[in-house]
Amino acid sequence: MTTADYVDAGEAVDQGTLNYKTPGADTAPPVTADVTYERIRNAAEEPQNWLTYYGNYNGQRYSSLDQINTENVKRLTPAWVFQAGTTGLIAGASTYSFEAAPIVVDGVMFVAGWDGWLWAIDAKTGVEIWRYKHAVPFDVSLCCGNVNRGAAVAKGKVFFVTANAHVIALDATNGKRVWDKTYGDVRAGESATVAPLVVKDMVIVGSSGGEFGVRGHLDAFDVDSGEHVWRCYTVPKPGEPGSETWPSDGEAWARGGANCWLTGTFDPETNLLYVGTGNPAPDFDGDVRPGDNLYTDSIIAVDADSGRIQWHYQCTPHDVWDYDSISECILFESDGRKLLGHFDKNGYFFVLDRTNGERISITPFVDRITWGAITRDGQVTPKVYPDKEGEPVHFYPGPAGAKEWTHAAYSPKTELFYVPVQDTGATATRRRREFKESIPYWGAGVQVDIDDMAGSVSAFDANGEEKWRYRNDLPMCASVLATGGDLVFAGKPSGEFVALDARTGEQLWQFQCGSGHHSSPTTYSVDGRQYIAVPVGWGGWAEGFLPGMLGAGHGSALMTFAIPE
Amino acid sequence: MTSTAQDRSALLDELGLNGQNRATIGRLLATGSIGQATERDDGRMEATIRINPDELCWDPSVLVLPHGGDVELTLINDDLNTHCALLPSNGDRKFIWLVNHSKGRATLNLDGPGYYWFSSPTGNDEGRGLTGAIVVLGDVPPEARLDRPEQPRP
Repeated sequence: MTTADYVDAGEAVDQGTLNYKTPGADTAPPVTADVTYERIRNAAEEPQNWLTYYGNYNGQRYSSLDQINTENVKRLTPAWVFQAGTTGLIAGASTYSFEAAPIVVDGVMFVAGWDGWLWAIDAKTGVEIWRYKHAVPFDVSLCCGNVNRGAAVAKGKVFFVTANAHVIALDATNGKRVWDKTYGDVRAGESATVAPLVVKDMVIVGSSGGEFGVRGHLDAFDVDSGEHVWRCYTVPKPGEPGSETWPSDGEAWARGGANCWLTGTFDPETNLLYVGTGNPAPDFDGDVRPGDNLYTDSIIAVDADSGRIQWHYQCTPHDVWDYDSISECILFESDGRKLLGHFDKNGYFFVLDRTNGERISITPFVDRITWGAITRDGQVTPKVYPDKEGEPVHFYPGPAGAKEWTHAAYSPKTELFYVPVQDTGATATRRRREFKESIPYWGAGVQVDIDDMAGSVSAFDANGEEKWRYRNDLPMCASVLATGGDLVFAGKPSGEFVALDARTGEQLWQFQCGSGHHSSPTTYSVDGRQYIAVPVGWGGWAEGFLPGMLGAGHGSALMTFAIPE
Repeated sequence: MTSTAQDRSALLDELGLNGQNRATIGRLLATGSIGQATERDDGRMEATIRINPDELCWDPSVLVLPHGGDVELTLINDDLNTHCALLPSNGDRKFIWLVNHSKGRATLNLDGPGYYWFSSPTGNDEGRGLTGAIVVLGDVPPEARLDRPEQPRP
């Protein structure tokens, strides 16, 4: 070698190889190989696993595991912590958040992070088995932070979406890509944050981008091949059913929003997906889109095979408060009827007959509702809204809603719903703007209150009667989890993770996790030991749901808890 | 006072924003050169990125790809200090150690459109100027676009 010769630096390697593992420990056992539609459909029969986003197609976020219960929960301690942190410049560098619901199959956990991360982790020890990192463009359009709500598993694969609107299938044993499909247009302002749902041989995903004036859609892809099966637009084209609720002239429909950015639920007997749709666009300037604006802010029942909307129920017609109805539709039975329960951003708890969309009951679940009123027979009367240019209007709930995307739970044991409540107002001032692709299209300036706020975990029966309330000074901005141990787990914005008595709301345990909660805890067991897993990482759209905590520290830890052995 | 696009380069030089330890302690990000990858007949792309002596800046600091896909990079450290590179790629980020006067390779797979940052994550190379961008041109596949009339763009 002469002094002129370069030293051969070789070929760049995967960064994950620089995270030491014992030989062979970078491959997971083939735990998802035989995760079939039948197994997911009967997920309740294997409570040691958390097989699908909500734990079950019914969206109840309930596990029958009862090793951790009201008697011993005070002994709950951390079992392990997994921390990833961030490196380099990433999209949403100041707004990333750890929002996922960990999936667990026979001792292997699959959890999605922000910025294209997905990890397979030993669910007993917390040790990383493999990682997948999708390269997410720095300049992708994100209304509400660099976030992802989780993965799905089936037939040897793990599925998740990326912020630049790809849906990806990975080999669950090694994290290598099997297929990768683009289902949104980043130049139009589309993105993706949803946890996929596997139904039959399909992976079902929705789009994000409702703050950028896109046209929302659901898509189904073949589990094995990634072939596109169907697309369901949630704003009709002119001439299609529902198009009469949009202006007949112009292109308001084409920018109408109604994104399905949260996972739906599914009833195999009705063969219907129950999906909540997002706000219309522009969010606060209703004059450019007179009419009810279907199917924005609606619960839609979509035939799983055809992707066609079978019925709908609109929770906030002609929304001008940003009241997405994306929240989960929890499926339950009462008096022999097949029902669904839905806590909407607009502050009302809707119970519908899920076979046909018939209204059963509507009940407010938050103290302060000033935007308008909905009677028990479904009559909607708007009261205050930003209809005059430049004139500030204050209303409750604020645009993050009385409950945002974070999920309620339902215990079939107590027959109660447990809902994280945000009681916060906001001021919107209408400011009209022209539509341009990829530019935020709100039609207002918005400031959410930083004082005079409250929160709770509230328990309701199916009739909407409040049974107890666990009060908190701050809004509750994380999903709750109900278990057979008669416990309800909930995370606070201030970092405490608490266990409540499911029958009384009494706090029985807490642990300070060091960062605010904005994710979906799950539970599972390995070798007979029950664990509670909760991603902890404050961020996301904090300026929307709790701007008073915008200065709080970020986190990126996945924490698990168990009773000491 | 504000600059115009025409005199930006001259003003960066005049104010000392385009080098080490002049106006700033390190070098202001994204003030380096711009380069374009070349495309082979098979659609794969290739480019060379260097670190020149005492500049602590990628050359080019903005690499432009005509479309998404695979790009083969040659990475050359002509500096008299050791650096490294952490590069975006689907699957996992690619890491390579670049000792003084070394040459290595990296193969990246990137979606388009959009842009990505890459850097030398050692010490504070990233803050001193060794943070660059890879820009991917183009559009998403036709099947991923919305079924709607063409819309105005900025």
